[in-house]
Amino acid sequence: MTETLNWTDRMRVERAVWTLDTYLQNLPRKSRVAKRRELRVNLLAASADVGTNEALRRLGSLRTLAAEYVVAEYGGPGPFWFAAMCVMLPAFAFMFWVSNARIDAFRSGAIAASPHLTGVYHLTGIAYVFTNATFTFVNGKGTEVNGTLLPLVYVFVVALTVLAGRFWRVIPVLRRRALGLSDG
Amino acid sequence: MYSSQVTSTHDPQLLKGVLSLLLLQLLAQRESYGYEIVQRLHEIGLSDISDGTVYPALARLERESRVSARLVSSHSGPARKYYRPTEAGYSTLAEGVTGWLAFVEVVNPVLSQPIPTQPVPPIEED
Repeated sequence: MTETLNWTDRMRVERAVWTLDTYLQNLPRKSRVAKRRELRVNLLAASADVGTNEALRRLGSLRTLAAEYVVAEYGGPGPFWFAAMCVMLPAFAFMFWVSNARIDAFRSGAIAASPHLTGVYHLTGIAYVFTNATFTFVNGKGTEVNGTLLPLVYVFVVALTVLAGRFWRVIPVLRRRALGLSDG
Repeated sequence: MYSSQVTSTHDPQLLKGVLSLLLLQLLAQRESYGYEIVQRLHEIGLSDISDGTVYPALARLERESRVSARLVSSHSGPARKYYRPTEAGYSTLAEGVTGWLAFVEVVNPVLSQPIPTQPVPPIEED
């Protein structure tokens, strides 16, 4: 049986395709687009052949299908981009917040002690974390230079991100790309 | 060409073990796209195999460089991705078929015997 698909069938196919796409967020973009296109073509063919209901039923759970695609891509569970972002962004936000809070605390404390403070003052940094900061006060108004994060903090946050995202799972895909093999 | 016998359910674990070989063999016979392969599997009697099992298996074969794919334009819609075995795919298929046939040769004579209603008592040793 081959039937012509109406717009509701096509909408249902699109819904399945884009639902799968949301579950494939851990795949590289190029591969995800290729999977999406291939599934759309197969679903349209299946829908025309056996009807949209049956075509979607035969596809099974989209979550399971996506998990199998990820295993097919990486040879096992893939990296967790979302988890990596959940670690990296708050970690940097926290470290910059601490850095700013430290600078603000020193400035506010100095001005509170002497509202018309004038002169140059130094805030000692923290080993491996913050650089020294230099404050210049003129009549109670201060500007500062330095007092920022040291490279080791960046290295530490990046290492945490790699661990949280299991980025080593991307290595086989990169290796395949380097060898010029297909990306799905 | 194929038996038109429609079988009931197959053990998914058994199917999983030979699915790659079946796909490689069917693709060696004729280049096909995803849904066409599913149809061909149904035609040979594996009517309970789902589309959702076949598509990731094709993706895995492609990742392992056992099949290559090319897009072929279709009169009925977007271009279809047709698969065919690579050199590595042909060698995998040859090795797999040899292994499978050797396995069947050992297992079949045992399993094709009538199922006894009761096991015979153990042979007593002196």
